[in-house]
Amino acid sequence: MFDMLLGGLGLVSSFSTAALVGAGLIIGLFVGALPGLGPLMGIILLLPYAITFPPVQAMGFLIAIYVGGSCGGAISAILLRIPGTPLAAATLFDGYPMAQNGRAADAIGIAISASALGGAFGGLILILFSPSIAAFAAGFGPPEYALLAITGLTAIAAVSDQSMLKGLIAGTAGLLLATAGTDEFTAAERFTFGLFEMSDGFNIVAIVVGLFAISEMSNLLTGNDLLDRPTLSIARPGFRTVLLVLRHWPNLLRSSSIGAFIGALPGAGGVISSFTAYAVAKTFSRADERYGEGAEGGIVASESANNATAGGALVPTLALGIPGDAVTAVLIGALLILGIFPGPTLFAQHSDIVGGIFLVYMLANIALFVVGILLTPLFVYVLRLRKLVLIPTVLLMCAIGTYAVGSSIFDLWVMFAFGIVGLILRAGGYPLAPMVIGVILGPLLENNVRRALLLSHDGLRIFIDRPVSATLVFINAALLLCVFFFTLRRHFAGRRSKPLPVNT
Amino acid sequence: MTGPLVIGRRTAGWCAVALMLVLVALVFEQIRDVLGPSGMAEGGPYDNAAAYPRGVTLVLLGLVALQIVVQVVARRRVPADGFTLRQLVRPAAVIAIFGLYLGLLGPLGFHLTSAPMLFAVMAVCGARQWWQMIALSLAISFGLAWFFESQLDVVLPGGIFHLNIPW
Repeated sequence: MFDMLLGGLGLVSSFSTAALVGAGLIIGLFVGALPGLGPLMGIILLLPYAITFPPVQAMGFLIAIYVGGSCGGAISAILLRIPGTPLAAATLFDGYPMAQNGRAADAIGIAISASALGGAFGGLILILFSPSIAAFAAGFGPPEYALLAITGLTAIAAVSDQSMLKGLIAGTAGLLLATAGTDEFTAAERFTFGLFEMSDGFNIVAIVVGLFAISEMSNLLTGNDLLDRPTLSIARPGFRTVLLVLRHWPNLLRSSSIGAFIGALPGAGGVISSFTAYAVAKTFSRADERYGEGAEGGIVASESANNATAGGALVPTLALGIPGDAVTAVLIGALLILGIFPGPTLFAQHSDIVGGIFLVYMLANIALFVVGILLTPLFVYVLRLRKLVLIPTVLLMCAIGTYAVGSSIFDLWVMFAFGIVGLILRAGGYPLAPMVIGVILGPLLENNVRRALLLSHDGLRIFIDRPVSATLVFINAALLLCVFFFTLRRHFAGRRSKPLPVNT
Repeated sequence: MTGPLVIGRRTAGWCAVALMLVLVALVFEQIRDVLGPSGMAEGGPYDNAAAYPRGVTLVLLGLVALQIVVQVVARRRVPADGFTLRQLVRPAAVIAIFGLYLGLLGPLGFHLTSAPMLFAVMAVCGARQWWQMIALSLAISFGLAWFFESQLDVVLPGGIFHLNIPW
């Protein structure tokens, strides 16, 4: 592990890396603070810029956006009572009342300090656990990898905010979309419709930008607040707020552990972890702490948990190449574009890059404390930005960013088409993250299914003949049973309830 | 929410199901008409390029069938929320403007199309300070062009007039 970190140190110790991490944090805090954007959108929009750098610097930039974006939502939650991202929804329970009591600067300072400390804890988990998991997975063969990919997909569908069945449908459609292009085994062109631009399949950036950014902008356009400019007074938190956080150290440790653990589970992201940590902190709190009325502990719990989630989510992402959510799926996409294949091989062959990624993650969390505290007044100004400026700017960035990846007008039409697809799926209540994860995991799944069948003498029996893959088959079967059980339970529970009036 | 529903959640759900069925149909059509005749839909795991997509499509078809059952059975309980005409006009107009922009980007180039697109979207959003909108549109489009062209060496579409600024 220390060799890995020492190897990474050589890649990280440069001014350009530090500058990229700093820039990523500022952008992350910016997109996190603005309602309607968020870390995923920030990463998507800046992905074309990031991939012009070497792998560790590119990941430093993108991870810093992830870290900053996970924290930035707290600023608008505290000041406006509108969480900039769903990750900060639990923060407003106590952050907004605290601001109303005249302690807005303290609330923001506590949120940033807790985010930085929670994120650093998540980083320690990442550094301690991912090498062991990668070492264990080094013995995996095609059947295990194929089943791991399926597990990643079923798990994210199983914990989808919306219908589990819809999550599975979206994920399976993503697997299917990934088959377009040249078949890696036979070099045959599949589903290209005679278009040479399709021979490499769909551009992942075009898919992600279309699905998330276009549909999100369209969603913002349905609101009536496009011309509104919030009036806010400038809050200037101080570095001493870290002491306020450290007074809640048992809560900080517990919430960070919850965040890192939940982050490592595929599909269970920062929203679940922040609400869980908040609920647990409230249960353990003293009566005089008055959760929900401006308790410092409430902000510490939700913010430390949602930033620790980022570290936890990177464990399966780096060690197994299995993304836990849409953000880590895009991070894997970035690594693949840069020619780096996450998983045990990465740990074995490019340990310096892994060490570098660990270090930039830690650096981003340490820098978050300084950058966040110093630049909070700037982000308060950012909150005054009207959506009528934000929406066209994001649309132009979608176009220019997608074009920049391959200088292809065709990719722009792919983005547009996926924007329409995203709108339809979103309106129909389908989660979009499983579709992106399906597209990312598709090639991994297909290659390993076919390799496993080539190795097998008994067809599909190879998947249950080996202990690890048999266990994964069992886990997948259990997850699928859960999906069907909960779908049926929701149905029957609904039948017993009074039917809702239908507007015709 | 004001006005009658134009697209309710139930209709949107059926649109999504239809989209998935189109995807399924496309895959089967391609396997039958393109991969099959060229011999890529037969043989073992190595040679058969159609087996895996066919398998995934069958799984998708099964899941969509289950979703159809769920939607039919639960049709009376779907909440009566959705989008009204007033809510849909603005996103539809912006999508149309964006589509038009993408269509003109190739022939006319980035610099001639981006600022008008930004201006039009701001106008649809309700902005009416015309000079401010023109200034913002030009600043945003040229600012982003400068960043991508001079800092990242991306050559943006110049169109038939080959309009590329040597920053």
